[in-house]
Amino acid sequence: MTAAPLQTDTHPPAIDPPVIEWAPALMIGMVGLGLAGLVALDTGLRGVALFALGGALGAVFIGFQYGFASVWRRFLVAGEMMGVAAHFLLIGLCALLFIPAAGLGLAATGSLAPVSVSLVIGAFMFGIGMQLANGCGSGVLFSFGGGSGRMLVALPFFILGSLLGSFLLPTALDWGSLGQVAIADGAGEAVRLLVNIGLIAAAGTAFYMTGRRRGQALPRQLLAGSVVVAALCWLVFILSGNPWGITFGFTLWGAKIAAFIGVPVGEFTFWQWAGPQRALTHSVLADVSSLMDIGMVIGAGLLAAIGGGLRRQSWPPSRQLVAAALGGILMGIGARLAFGCNIGAFLAGIASGSLHGWIWFVMAMAGSWVGIRWRPSFGLSR
Amino acid sequence: MTRLTPKVIYVLVLLAGCVVVVGDHLISRSLSGPGAPGDLGGACAPCGAPCTDAGG
Repeated sequence: MTAAPLQTDTHPPAIDPPVIEWAPALMIGMVGLGLAGLVALDTGLRGVALFALGGALGAVFIGFQYGFASVWRRFLVAGEMMGVAAHFLLIGLCALLFIPAAGLGLAATGSLAPVSVSLVIGAFMFGIGMQLANGCGSGVLFSFGGGSGRMLVALPFFILGSLLGSFLLPTALDWGSLGQVAIADGAGEAVRLLVNIGLIAAAGTAFYMTGRRRGQALPRQLLAGSVVVAALCWLVFILSGNPWGITFGFTLWGAKIAAFIGVPVGEFTFWQWAGPQRALTHSVLADVSSLMDIGMVIGAGLLAAIGGGLRRQSWPPSRQLVAAALGGILMGIGARLAFGCNIGAFLAGIASGSLHGWIWFVMAMAGSWVGIRWRPSFGLSR
Repeated sequence: MTRLTPKVIYVLVLLAGCVVVVGDHLISRSLSGPGAPGDLGGACAPCGAPCTDAGG
């Protein structure tokens, strides 16, 4: 075991006390209130509630430092199992609502998507990207909201990649698809719930028990984070009628910017499909994913400013910024080809009883394995 | 001259983003409630992608 370096300085190490950064906190708060007012005028209280939920998710993610990319990296590099076990706890809690609510037709649908060649390729690309960028869909967004220099680079490239992915998806769907595959479909809602909860519990227990055998413990912060995020996901599902998703918002922002500078976005097949077309022709505050993404940036930014986190941010070395850009592009394209990210496909897909969520998990984990091996080339640790 | 720290860039990006969002909101059509792309057109995926035939 390597010993920690000795502290040779006679002075105690400097520890910055949390200092509220009033100017950015007030600015972010005013931006949030102003946008909430616009949302209220357009989409009413339901829109404001979803915007606020996005803010709460941003604050919770940055407060609990709840992540996916680093947890998967620690699993693949050091065999730390408990983080992935916590992810399956989160998914299981969400499934308890998503599957019966969707099955009983309670004005809500789960996140089902095709099992396709594009899913396999896209999730693999996403896995590589999340290790190069040091964050996944949620990680990039809340870290950007917290003022991270790395994510100031990763997010624009994520948006660009997501737009490119939207151009590619219609062609990629022709590479082969089995269509949607709902696990235990047709077996009755109770059986379907039991089968899916059983699968999620089996996966989570396998990670947990292996971790226990290795002397690992489930960190309370991760446990509490999983429960709080699950509660917020329930509220999003109830209010919006869909599981929480992140990356379509990025795609929409990219399309809006591209259209503004003269790219004929509306002529691409993806943007002629009914849903994307509606999103493109309406306000970015009228799309649930986009609305909640903006809320998440505001929530994370507010918490970071209140905790003095913004002033602690610094630029990573340039090679790491190149990795962030490359990772962003890969995640953007991958998310579109694979019908979502760690939230929209992994969490929401599995919690909705869709086979595509499990395939996303396996392929993104395989991509992460590759991405981890590429990290040293960019000056990143494994 | 102020150094271009992440905090400075972040504040500028946030303000620019706010202006863009408000501008887009003012020139776009409004909806009575927030929507998701998967809600329309018999979508097969949350992004609004339609169903394709098996193997095709």
